[in-house]
Amino acid sequence: MRLRGVRRYHWARDVDEALSLLSAYQGKGAFLAGGVDLARSPRTDLEGLIDLTGAGLSYIREDGKGLHLGATATLAEILSSAQAQEYAGGILRETLRLVAYPALRNMATLGGAVVSAHPWADIPTLLVALDAEVLYRNAEGEKRMSLAELYRTDFRRIFRESVLLEVLLPPLPGAFAFEKIGRNAGDIALLNACAGLALEDGRIAWARLSVGARPERGERLPWLEEALVGERPSEALWRKVEEEVRARIEVGSDRRASEAWRREVAGVLVRRALARAAGKAGT
Amino acid sequence: MKIYFELNGKPQYVEVEAGESLLSLLRRLGMKSVKEGCGTGECGTCTVLLEGKPVRSCLTFAPKVQGKRVTTLEGLGTLEDPHPLQRAFVEAGAVQCGFCTPGMILTAYALLQENPDPTPHEVREYLVGNLCRCTGYVKIVDAVLLAAQWKREGQWR
Repeated sequence: MRLRGVRRYHWARDVDEALSLLSAYQGKGAFLAGGVDLARSPRTDLEGLIDLTGAGLSYIREDGKGLHLGATATLAEILSSAQAQEYAGGILRETLRLVAYPALRNMATLGGAVVSAHPWADIPTLLVALDAEVLYRNAEGEKRMSLAELYRTDFRRIFRESVLLEVLLPPLPGAFAFEKIGRNAGDIALLNACAGLALEDGRIAWARLSVGARPERGERLPWLEEALVGERPSEALWRKVEEEVRARIEVGSDRRASEAWRREVAGVLVRRALARAAGKAGT
Repeated sequence: MKIYFELNGKPQYVEVEAGESLLSLLRRLGMKSVKEGCGTGECGTCTVLLEGKPVRSCLTFAPKVQGKRVTTLEGLGTLEDPHPLQRAFVEAGAVQCGFCTPGMILTAYALLQENPDPTPHEVREYLVGNLCRCTGYVKIVDAVLLAAQWKREGQWR
């Protein structure tokens, strides 16, 4: 790997410096954190790289608003963080263990995964199920919005001139489970799913469900979330949901898996995720 | 641009290109154990330790190691004085063509720093990003478990 044409490498000491360095390059500069995506998609138009890992964005902290994950915290740092472990019954640890392999998790950052937003990635599927919000800054100031909403905008253009500061995970009432199928344990997903459930008096009071790598990026299934509320968790219910997901989910083909395969497996993954989430929520 | 870093315990002050990979830098410095397999982070044979933790040198921009410690297989042992992990790989017959071995050993080294008593499953889970096309992995896992046993018995330096 060699990005030809790159003349300078900068370590931004803070976000303001990163933004002013970027604007000085007039479109020929790029931000990086772990650098794994930039290294894998060699560009020839860049003259300067601006490393954000020293800009004070690697924090993991909790307050009344939720769990704040700095954009340059690595996946390994989140995996080994006690605060992240406690969030929503340990769903961050459960999911991040399935993402790539130790050496890549030592490099890749949460912010990188959010900004790159690969359609097969596990992290967007997880974060939209967790109602994640993002905070970013550009020349106009700071902006906070839900990740699901951000992904409906032209976010790639936004991040050409903005620094992602953090991902905020709000306190949630439910218990979560994540399911993924790849070709092997280190593979990217052929399909992934995340479910969250909260129970009250033996009935589902709150539900979150997302499915990703369809091959499109992970999105929630609001129709299923609504339909689940008020139901009693049971094996029969999960079987019924499996059939409905199979009938209704929007999936497609790519070179890794067919539409028919994804349709079949989406039902299975959602059923498994729901059953495990219900188990954790305490049926 | 010039960067300063520590390579296998020795200080280095070297010229690098801003867009160059750590893999390319290390091979220029004579660290031929660091190999380019896929060049996209999939195979694991370019693995080195950065501040003691495994990273892919093919996906790491060389300037990133500024001020940091890098360890390659050359820093673990030599032909005359091999590291116990290297001896264990020989003992268990875990080497065939040898191309993946440096990455396997460095990743296993990091595993045993974190977890001195791994189960066979934990070894496989930690080595999932290191591909071997010869052995079928059984003897590699055996070698790591053997080295772990030697470590627990105090046979590591």
